[in-house]
Amino acid sequence: MDYDAIVVGGGHAGIEASLALSRIGFSTLLVTQRLDTIGALSCNPAIGGLSKGNIVREIDALGGEMAHLIDHSMIQFRILNRRRGPAVQAPRAQADKFTYNRLAKETVEGQSNLALFMDTVVDLLLDEAERVYRGIITERGHTITSRVLVLTTGTFMEGKIFIGEWETSAGRLGEAAAIGLGTALRQKGFPVGRMKTGTPARVRRSSIDFSRVETQQGDAIMLPFSFDYPTIDRPMRDCYITWTNEQTHRIIGENMARSPLYGGKISGIGPRYCPSIEDKVVRFPERERHQIFIEPEGIGTEEMYLNGISSSLPEDVQAAFIHSIAGLEEAEIMRPAYAVEYDYIDPTALYPSLESKLVDGLFIAGQTNGTSGYEEAACQGLMAGINAAQKLKGEKPVVLGRHEAYIGVLIDDLVTMGTKEPYRMFTSRAEYRLNLRHDSGDVRLTKKGWEVGLQSDEHLARLEEKLRRIEAVKDLLAQHTHREKSALAALKMPEVTIEELQGVVPALGRFDEATLHQVELDVKYAGYIDRQQRQVDRFTRLEAMAIDPLFDYDSVEGLSSEGREKLKAVRPFSVGQASRINGVRNSDVAILIVHLRRGGGHV
Amino acid sequence: MSRYDTQDIIYALATPWARSGLAVIRISGAGCKEALAPYFSRPAALLGAPNATMVHGSLIDEAAARIDEVVLAINTDGHGYTAEEAIEISCHGSLAVIQAILALLGRIGMRSAEAGEFTFRAFLHGRVDLTQAEAVEELVSSVSQRSRSLSLSRLEGKLRQRIDMLKDTLLTILAAVEVQLDYAEDELDEFVFPTQALTDLIASIGSLADTYQIGRLYKRGAKVVLAGSTNVGKSSLFNLLLKEERSIVSPYRGTTRDYIEADLEVGGIPIRLYDTAGLRESEDLVEQEGVVRSERLIGQADLVIHLVDSTDLGHIPEEDGRTIVVYNKSDLARIGGDKLAISAQSGEGVARLLEVVEAYLKRSIPEGGDEELVIEGERQWRLLGGAKGALLRALHLVQADAVLDVVAVELGEALSNLGELTGEVRSDDILERIFSGFCVGK
Repeated sequence: MDYDAIVVGGGHAGIEASLALSRIGFSTLLVTQRLDTIGALSCNPAIGGLSKGNIVREIDALGGEMAHLIDHSMIQFRILNRRRGPAVQAPRAQADKFTYNRLAKETVEGQSNLALFMDTVVDLLLDEAERVYRGIITERGHTITSRVLVLTTGTFMEGKIFIGEWETSAGRLGEAAAIGLGTALRQKGFPVGRMKTGTPARVRRSSIDFSRVETQQGDAIMLPFSFDYPTIDRPMRDCYITWTNEQTHRIIGENMARSPLYGGKISGIGPRYCPSIEDKVVRFPERERHQIFIEPEGIGTEEMYLNGISSSLPEDVQAAFIHSIAGLEEAEIMRPAYAVEYDYIDPTALYPSLESKLVDGLFIAGQTNGTSGYEEAACQGLMAGINAAQKLKGEKPVVLGRHEAYIGVLIDDLVTMGTKEPYRMFTSRAEYRLNLRHDSGDVRLTKKGWEVGLQSDEHLARLEEKLRRIEAVKDLLAQHTHREKSALAALKMPEVTIEELQGVVPALGRFDEATLHQVELDVKYAGYIDRQQRQVDRFTRLEAMAIDPLFDYDSVEGLSSEGREKLKAVRPFSVGQASRINGVRNSDVAILIVHLRRGGGHV
Repeated sequence: MSRYDTQDIIYALATPWARSGLAVIRISGAGCKEALAPYFSRPAALLGAPNATMVHGSLIDEAAARIDEVVLAINTDGHGYTAEEAIEISCHGSLAVIQAILALLGRIGMRSAEAGEFTFRAFLHGRVDLTQAEAVEELVSSVSQRSRSLSLSRLEGKLRQRIDMLKDTLLTILAAVEVQLDYAEDELDEFVFPTQALTDLIASIGSLADTYQIGRLYKRGAKVVLAGSTNVGKSSLFNLLLKEERSIVSPYRGTTRDYIEADLEVGGIPIRLYDTAGLRESEDLVEQEGVVRSERLIGQADLVIHLVDSTDLGHIPEEDGRTIVVYNKSDLARIGGDKLAISAQSGEGVARLLEVVEAYLKRSIPEGGDEELVIEGERQWRLLGGAKGALLRALHLVQADAVLDVVAVELGEALSNLGELTGEVRSDDILERIFSGFCVGK
């Protein structure tokens, strides 16, 4: 055996997977087509956002790397949706893509136990029955063996790029696709499909007329994503806002037939939540304008990202409609917008551990599983890495609950229901989002990171210290009176803030901002959190009814035939997961419960 | 749920435990044909009977003695009400026959079904969803034609359609809120909470929930009590209404010492009519007890018909939402104005009385074409109430300018209440609504 573990792909999933495996102590090889693009921000030069920012902080709490990378490369920071309520606000940062990329590469290079090798994987080496993973076969003819594999191919597996009538085999513009592996996996019986995503044009900063666009500044204070340090201080850059207009829409409408999306050349399914400008014009004809955010791609570059107008129209049409937009009349297009279509593997072929049901020892993470977004990819990479390590240790997989983390929601959705479009996280996907605040990520997950060996004793001690501080603040408030009640009870009132109470309880000044903020939210939301907790309790009872993944569903009488087929396909880890499978009926769940109560199929 | 074991063959009498022309006994469970065959005159015909067929023959006991001539309706596995192998025995409706057949089934290893167990199995096998399961229970226990047609419309999914409509409206409101939570402020148009839509929805859910009272009336019937002093003609009216001699009618005061009850139907509403002891002071202990019972009945009644003697008015109670005053003996003395006058002797005015009674019982039924849409199950009423309560809290939060994430909690709770009635709403449904209704995404 050459290595304990191999990770294929150096994107956001591959980075987390390889770091997790090597940090936990297993000899790991990271194989990538191009060492220079480890951690590349292929699309939007930004990390975080609603629910995604929460995921970044969850990754950090578990011992992943993404928060550190963005903390040390951000050039603008904002807390989104401050006015919408704490449960749904989240941090988002613009990144200097070069710095991000360089830090990512430095981090994996600096990691002990982690080797890097540039090559393209074209096939997997399996045992004779094709049920157990043994190693990889590369384009240049190397066979490298390991006990486990984490596959993170991103948009590269059989990737194809479209710009109008033009198309080419590529994973990113100018970067060759990984050819062969998708076909090999299809032949081995993996459920491989096609998905599509797109990216907008980049234009040259010096060609933009800034007098005709709005300036959008970040928050005055940058806050770190990581729980490891309290502050961050980095140079800040502005973003800009402009709008499409009727002329833009007319140009797009007249040239719709030249779009490969509408011409039928692209078979993959694109994301509804991130439509191309063509889609927006077709689906919302009543709208007179669409917003565009002009975002810097970094400090040492003139490239500006036109957020909001991804497209696959031909370049002459792109130029015409971009030049119809205020501020972009003279814009010099440096990179065109394009659509990319790629192979993904139906994630319902995975267990909640992200291990394949078809091949033992094979874990799959990131865009390969039909997701979209750096954060979604990274958290899967981390969990696949953790669970590959658990397998190497001979321990049970770590599966985060839907009530514990957005990561839990994401993976459960993927492996239970699959996805028809590139899956992106939304706060509304989480039933218990009041419990999933970004500021409580460490409270929720640090211990789990410590248990798998990714967080140190110091991290755990730091968390315990934080919990002690929170309790101390609550005690302090309980001992003081404000508005004729205890200051703790007063804080429940909507109009009373923790700032106001600092006047009443001067000793609060001893505590840091983050602790005070967390107490304020805990107290203000206590009623709702308690109510949610009762739902969580019901939920966890069903989750706790474990089902052996090899359970014989044919032996259970009374299951509906559709339910039986779905259960056999998904092989849920718990009755809770079973109840979320599309096509599994209440009656099937009732029967499963009855059956499990009788003692069959318990793990 | 765990008290049910779907491995057993269960049986139950499906028609009322009463003498009638025909009775139906249901059997369900894998292997029931084979179990019954030895006790049927044509075992081969029974065993070979395909789904949805009838087999004629006789049931025989262990000594090969004939119990009754019967028709067996056969459902094979996967069909019929429970989606299990099942037999319905149509036999003669004599109590002795019914008893003999049930005893036989028990002896040959079948188990008497628990309440609702057939429906539970139908539910377990996915034949009915929960709303339908409740309707079936009501169909079985409903006691009047009107109530039967209400149950039938449920099965056809009218209630489901209505709740789906409410759910759809709520989904639209929730999507408008969720999109604010799923996308950043600067990506969206200025947000105005759809307060009017929410207010309207609360009203709609409220009026559907209010039909519960009416539904209960149709299902369980109304208690109507005849009250009044002695010798005002209560028993005469009672008998007239029943069109048969049930009460002892005599010219002496205080003849009806205890109450007598009977069932009848007025305007489709099943009514249990009580003829009470006359209300007067008495030394007679039996009669005193009768008066106490009368007063208790009056307290529980849905409607009290207070009868007054037109020839000897005496005390006349106030009419209120539960009491109507009726002047009897109109053949002997005329009462002026728009007072309700009848003669229990001649029958004059009784038709009008019945109209008034019907109008009283139905007065809370909403106007419009939805008269048939009523909810009957307590669970449905509870869930609608839960939805309404959550929406009211949401409305208050919005009016107090609370942050949207807690408003969304209440809207979500309302949606899950409605979802429990006709099927769960998944987060994908909300996202679908967002993507189709809002132009979002950078």
